[in-house]
Formats: sequence, structure tokens, C-alpha cells
Amino acid sequence: MSTTGVAGARVLLLIPAQTYRASDFLAAAHRMGLTVVVGSDGALPLGGHPVLRADPRDPERSAGRLVSRAGPVDAVVAVDTPMLILASAVAARTGLPHNPIEAVMAATDKAAQRRRWAATGVYQPAFRILPAGTGEQALASAAAGAGFPCVVKAVSLSGSRGVLRANDEAGAITAATRIRSVLAAAGRPAHEPLIVEEYVPGWEVSVDGLLNDGSLAVTAVFDKPDTPEGPTFEETLLVTPSRLPGQVLAAVLATAGRAARALGLRHGPIHAELRIDTRQGRQAPAMLELAARPIGGLCARALRFTGGVSLEEMVLAAALGHHPATPHLGRPSGVLMLHAEQAGTLRAVDGKAEAAAVPGITGLTITIPVGQRVRPLPDGDRYLGFIFAEGDTPEETAAALRAARNRLHITIR
Amino acid sequence: MTDLASRVTAVLERSVLPSVVARGGSLRVAGVEDGVVTLEASGSPGAALPLASRAEALIRAAVPEVTRIRVIGPGGEPPPAAGGDLGDRVRRVLDAEINPTIAAHRGHVVLTGVDQGWVRVRLEGGCQGCSLAEVTLRQGIEPVLRARAPDMVGLIDVTDHGSGTHPFFSPAKR
Repeated sequence: MSTTGVAGARVLLLIPAQTYRASDFLAAAHRMGLTVVVGSDGALPLGGHPVLRADPRDPERSAGRLVSRAGPVDAVVAVDTPMLILASAVAARTGLPHNPIEAVMAATDKAAQRRRWAATGVYQPAFRILPAGTGEQALASAAAGAGFPCVVKAVSLSGSRGVLRANDEAGAITAATRIRSVLAAAGRPAHEPLIVEEYVPGWEVSVDGLLNDGSLAVTAVFDKPDTPEGPTFEETLLVTPSRLPGQVLAAVLATAGRAARALGLRHGPIHAELRIDTRQGRQAPAMLELAARPIGGLCARALRFTGGVSLEEMVLAAALGHHPATPHLGRPSGVLMLHAEQAGTLRAVDGKAEAAAVPGITGLTITIPVGQRVRPLPDGDRYLGFIFAEGDTPEETAAALRAARNRLHITIR
Repeated sequence: MTDLASRVTAVLERSVLPSVVARGGSLRVAGVEDGVVTLEASGSPGAALPLASRAEALIRAAVPEVTRIRVIGPGGEPPPAAGGDLGDRVRRVLDAEINPTIAAHRGHVVLTGVDQGWVRVRLEGGCQGCSLAEVTLRQGIEPVLRARAPDMVGLIDVTDHGSGTHPFFSPAKR
């Protein structure tokens, strides 16, 4: 895809304070020759390019302020989840294409997603919503209704945070209690419900794409070959292109598109996660989750499209009305996310040079400084770092990532 | 394009360019003469220079005829300095206009060197490892310096962000 033809356009980039993606979106905008106005709840106005105060907790007031102070813009783009609702509010006031706010809200609430998919026949795990205050007996009954093993989830967290597998009623009660403590520590309101859903065994994939008036152009499908079976669900290895058979892959893409439209999403990036349910002797893609943003963390750095175009450039170009016909990825590529395997203080990450020297490794970034406290899932809210690779085949790429991980020695005490 | 330039371009696009692009810049082969490859940095030119030594190692390993790599700014050599020492002017702007503001986030920016119009800075304190450091650098510091010191070719961030112990904002899963 060419991103030429947009140079000089003026884009309002809404950047939350705690994001992995600020630099990659700015880099993309710079490369495309865009004029950027930043709206942020953290960035300092230094007198260079405009930086406007944007409070995602008060979208109506912030939207009014941004519209009055940003000047005319050609697109509004949320860099990360906390700014999605505000971006829609600003776009609505300025007449730019946008998702309905209720659709964006549904995409950030796993209970709302489950309800909408149930109402529209999108295939997903059996589930029950557990309102705050659900007693142990009711919880155990709901878990049994979903079926064992089951997965208990927070509705508002992401990156596998606040998600636990349970194999029986007692395990479900313990998991719910544990997740409530994760939510409290995250400052989430006490009235949030939980979800209990059946555990779907099988191959997991993620789908990234760009919606254009409800039509999904897929940018990447990642296989997740090392996804754990619980009790926690660390996102580890992602490799693209997918090795799924064509027919199954087509069903995956169709399901992801239907799921996005069922939420009411019509514009911009999506990131969907699905498992291939083989329990009934068929290969049925089951929707796990969907977000109205690109893939999380720094994972988009694993993607490079024809002409060296990044996923962020694709997102910005699409927001400016330049939609890719068929995005073409370069070589097979992948990313491995590093997680804290225990709680404590990160003391050392040794072996970085050895890991980076593994053939096929194209990058290694540690994103938590030595000396900081870290926590494993279900609490952990940050990645330790990311390893990136390319190869001639997805298998070769995955092997390089695993070999590089094995050369790293992470000390947490 | 000569065969040698084509081979260098192929190495550049495969192994170096993605990292440069991710930092907001771009690199192209501007010329190859007597084994010396000239790369032109554009976009945010400070994005390319920190990767120059890696680019040289990769290109020389893949194309043995190459003996040296040199990186130039957009349009060729850096322009002559305008009115006084660039380093002094940059330092004055940092002290008077930038540091008083970023002190609100416990941050500080230090000039570490000037070489042929390329300005190197290191972000310290709350800026080191901050998830918004790039916003501060590219939306704030760089345009202010460009306005005050138009002979600046590029701004290079030499900060080891991975070692920042007290970033003002840390990235989080969303």
C-alpha cells in the first residue's frame, strides 16, 4: 500500500500517558509527512508542535476542548484503548468517520461483547455474567452451567490480566476472589461484573485488520502456537502468516469481521482473538475477545508491509481515507512477549547480546528497567520486553524466537 | 542503479530500514564510490545515525566490496553553522525553554555533543524510559530547536531508556 498522497494532512493523535505505542505512531506520522496535533493526558506542552490536554475520563468536556483548540483536522486517531471513546466523540463533533461511542464502549467491555455476539449468533464459548456481589453458591452454579474446565475473567482488563482457568466449582470461586483483588488493585470500580465461560481447547490465532464502513481488510493473522492452557494465559509467541488451512482461515476471518460488525464497529483498526474449537469434530472459530485498536504492546513492530510500511502507517492512512486494497506482508515474522514469571524486583536481564545474535532475530527490547517491581499474571500489567524475528518460514521464525528466549536469563528476586 | 548499489540497498531494506522507520526516519543509498557507500537520512534524521554502526557492520558483512559507510543529512552535507556555535545555542535553548518545563515531570535534557550539525541529547530523570519521551522529543524539543537553530541537521536521542529507573509514565497493557 502506498501512504503517499496524505502528506501535509493534519491529524489529531490522542496519546494516553501509559502506552507502548506513542513513539511508533509519531514515527509513522513523521514518515508520512503528516502534521500532528497531540492530545494527551500526560504529554507536556513545550512550545514546539501543539500538545493539548485530553482527559479520557471526561470525554464530553475533553472533546469540546479539543475541537475548539486543535483547529481543523483531517483525522482523529486514538493511539491506545483509553483514548478510543474520546476519539469517537471528537470525530463525531467534527464530522469525520467514526465508530458509534456505544460500539467502542462495547469493544472495551467483555461482558457487552459476549451479550452482543450471543444476540447475533457469533460463535463463542458458553458463558455466564457474574454481577458484583454474586455469592459463592451462585458463582459455582454459573461455572457449572458454563461447563468445566472454565475461564473466569475480568470484563475490563486486557493482555490476559485478570483471567484464570478453573477446573471445578471450588477453583472457580477461588479464581473469582483472586480476580476481584486484581481489579481492586487496578482501581476498577467494585460494581464491575465478572465472566465465567467454558474453556475452549485448541489452536489460537489473532486477527488484525482495518474496517472501512464495516468491511474488514485483514492486515495480519498471527498463530499463537505456545499459548498456555492455564491457569494463567500469558501471551507469548506470535507468528505470521498463519499456518491454518485455507478453509479454516477463511472461517476465522469471516467470524472476526462478523464479530466486529456485531459490536457496531465500522471504522478503524481491530484486533481479534479466536480459538479453533475442534471438540465436535469440526474446526469452528470461537470468538474470545475483540478490541477496536491494533495489536497490543510493541507487537506491531513484527509487521512490515510492502514498501516498508508499518501497521501504524496503515492505521493513519486508513483514518485519512486511504484504505489498503490487499495489504501484503513481507517475510514471515513474529514476536515473543517476555513476562515476569514471579513477583519481585527485576534484578538483571542477561544474555541479550547472545539472544540478539540468534539468526533471524531482528530486534530485542526490554521495556521494564532493572530495579522495578514486577508481577506475574493474573496481576501483571506490563510486559518485560519483546523479541522480534523474521525467517523464510513461520516455523523457522518461531524457532528463532524460542532459541533467543532460551538465551536470556532474567533474574527477579 | 549499479549492481553494488542494488546489493547495498537490499541489505539496507531487509536489515536496517525497519528499525530506522520505527524511529521516525528513513535511509536511502545516495551513492557508492570507491567502496564508500553514502546513505542519506531523511524524515527524522536523528533516527538513523544511532544505527549507522550497525548498518555498516551488516552492509560490509553482506557486501565485502564496501569499505566504509558515511551518513549525510537531507540534501547532502550539513549546512554551515549560522551565527555562533551550534552547541552553545542549543544548550541555551535547553536551559531556558525546555528544562524548566520538563522539570514538572522530574525530567531533564542534557546536550551530549554536536557533530556536523547533528545534535545529541540525553534525557534524564523522569524522561528516561518514559512512555511519552518520544512525544516530548519529537513534538516539543526537536521543533523548538529547529526554530531556534535552523542549522541543526538532526536531533539524536542517545538515552538508554531501558535503564531509566524512575520514568514519569510507564507503559501498561491496554
